[in-house]
Amino acid sequence: MKRLLIVDDSKLMRDMVAACLRPLGAVTFEFAGTGLEAIERLALAGFDLVVLDLNMPDVGGIEVVEFVRSQDRMRALPILIVTTRGDDESKARVLAAGASGFLPKPFAPAQIIAEVRRLLPVERAAT
Amino acid sequence: MSDRVDLQEFVGAFVAEADELVGSANSLLLEIETANAAGASRPRAVRDLFRALHTLKGLAGMIGVEPIVEIAHVLESLVRTADRAGGSLRRAAVDVCLQGVAAIGERVRAVAEHRGPAAVPPALLEAIAAALAGDERGPSPPAPIVAAWDAKLGAGERQQLGAALQDGGHAWTVTFAPGEELAARGITIATVRAALGALGDILKVLPRATPGPPAGLAFDILLVSDAAAAVIADAAATSLERVVELRLPGVVAGPAPAAASAEPLLADIPELEDDAPVTLGRSLVRVELARLDDLQEQLSLLIVSRFRLDRELAAHAAAGHDVRKLREIAALQGRQLRDLRRAILRARMVRVAEVLEPLPLLVRSLARAAQKEVRLELDARDAELDKAVADRLLPALVHLVRNAVDHAIELPEERVARGKSRTGTVRVRCAALGGTHVELAVEDDGRGIDRAAIARRAGHAIGDDRDLLAALVQPGFSTRDIATRTSGRGLGMDIVKRIATEILGGELALVTAPGVGTVFTLRVPLTISVIEVFAFECGAQAFVVPVAAVDEIIELPADLATEPPRRRGERVPVRMLDCRGHAVPLLSLGTVLAIDPGDGARKAIVTRRAGEPVAFAVDRMLGRHEVVVRPIDDPLVRVPGISGATDLGTGRPTLVLDLGALDLSGRERPN
Repeated sequence: MKRLLIVDDSKLMRDMVAACLRPLGAVTFEFAGTGLEAIERLALAGFDLVVLDLNMPDVGGIEVVEFVRSQDRMRALPILIVTTRGDDESKARVLAAGASGFLPKPFAPAQIIAEVRRLLPVERAAT
Repeated sequence: MSDRVDLQEFVGAFVAEADELVGSANSLLLEIETANAAGASRPRAVRDLFRALHTLKGLAGMIGVEPIVEIAHVLESLVRTADRAGGSLRRAAVDVCLQGVAAIGERVRAVAEHRGPAAVPPALLEAIAAALAGDERGPSPPAPIVAAWDAKLGAGERQQLGAALQDGGHAWTVTFAPGEELAARGITIATVRAALGALGDILKVLPRATPGPPAGLAFDILLVSDAAAAVIADAAATSLERVVELRLPGVVAGPAPAAASAEPLLADIPELEDDAPVTLGRSLVRVELARLDDLQEQLSLLIVSRFRLDRELAAHAAAGHDVRKLREIAALQGRQLRDLRRAILRARMVRVAEVLEPLPLLVRSLARAAQKEVRLELDARDAELDKAVADRLLPALVHLVRNAVDHAIELPEERVARGKSRTGTVRVRCAALGGTHVELAVEDDGRGIDRAAIARRAGHAIGDDRDLLAALVQPGFSTRDIATRTSGRGLGMDIVKRIATEILGGELALVTAPGVGTVFTLRVPLTISVIEVFAFECGAQAFVVPVAAVDEIIELPADLATEPPRRRGERVPVRMLDCRGHAVPLLSLGTVLAIDPGDGARKAIVTRRAGEPVAFAVDRMLGRHEVVVRPIDDPLVRVPGISGATDLGTGRPTLVLDLGALDLSGRERPN
């Protein structure tokens, strides 16, 4: 089982991301509603991948990425940024900060699955 | 399992969350609008509004509701611009946002009722774009405030912090280190955030890697709160030494560093943002000051042509024509002009309380730099001032307040040793004086000005407070050998004097008592440029004096009409005039100004010099007028006692006399 952390300040968005990724199988989802909660959870437990929104109160996605990359333990943790701010400049900034992937909203379910598969080789659960 | 997921199953959840976001966007906009009406801004609300719109856009995109994406997108741009410009959303922008959010709400309902949401009317997008264009030349971001946090704060957050500190609030850096043990007890950053949020405003939270356990992580939380440190520590489940009150740097950050400036007085003042949002409520409009200036200029021309009309009328009357009807109309027009002038003046008025707004932050940072404890009391009640006066006055007030904190207020230990309270008080009072002037006083309960020290430095004996003030306002005069970090090198008091008297045509006075304190009083006109004057003739020349400077005009007794002859080099003779039972010194203005005497003085203008009444004999009065005063800016022709020039409609400049400052050639003080 792989542990995924989905970070977004909108509950609906978190639910939709989880719904999109559920077909992956063999994954468990945990959620954080703010960048702060995300950092706290990441500091306290090990995750296999983070799906991260950029625009959140107090601590934004970029700051979460910077924090994660500053920790030896999490230097290789895959982080997929999922954001409504889909312009090239944001993408460049996010990748420069150390994010592993970038997916503009809105996205189709197949797109996010492809991105997560690329970043996280998951054994498909037997159907 | 199939990869195919149908997000349409989330439509119900979308409607619920979108409704919530529309509701919170609306209440945030109303909060901003209410704050605007009170002259405040709500940077936090602007940021929350931005986030609500951003989330709406993202969700609508996922569900595929294009019209909502479109509206939310343009609104988001508008609000982002406001956030970057310091977190205030102008009235026009608030209006258009409310329309935009209403349009989103309609489309959310359409989605809920399984109707296709209507396309976005182009007029709405245009209105939002127009508001955006209007807002882009918004206020510049506020100056940095706290070095440690500055780089991490957005413009709106800095604005919020600055405003909070200026209001006498306290800002804290609270450090919370999460851990498994805390988490097991249910204490996480989310619960800490909620607990701290109940005590004040959280401006920013920064995660920071820390060496070692518990989790190699700490959060620095920037909190504005009036709660005590212990209460904050308790709420944050942290220790007291991890709650640190923010110390402001010594100098309020202004547009330029003070040290590098030749004019520290002006450089250190936090910029009064001229085009900052004069945040206004619904029934108000913003007007650029330049337009009001233009209006006043037009009025000035009208007043000048009115004088010419009066002259023509007088000429016609002298020629024996019947001008009664014309006189009636002229009188009516005169009243209307006066009303118009008052109306324009009112439009230019700003509240003195607003003018004084930069002072608390200044005092706070000065006191800290000097390690003093100073309480600032502001008492401006409802006094108002012409914006043009206010802008010129503020540097003088800032300097006086700065001096009070730096030089007058003693260190806490010294105060205690002298039996005073540890905390010194600087009070700035403002009161209206009879509708034409305001009096501003900067008062401290410090050590008082050391007469002996001033006398040593000035190189002559110092008599009363007037002498003292005269010495202090000498250019370059300083009471300190070592210039303090903040007060510069004694460049100040002469500038204060110049602002009060020469620029604003007012007065500066001083009262000081050793060990008790000092009061500087500035008496300045409510408005500059258009003033009421008495015109009079002296030695066949016309002059004017401001009505406000005249106590009264009295008929000169025949025995005082002509001046006794005097010999070369003799002082201006002073005779005594009986004025309501008081003997008032009387001087011949013609003699003082060294102009040819006319055919004998008939009137005396009673005014005040340094508070004492004095009368000047003049030939005859020409009436009361409203005139535009042009200051004489050329230093070569600047003469004490002449505050400007005006045009009475003759086409020739008429001098505006400041009888109180007229040079009596050092021959004799009237008292």
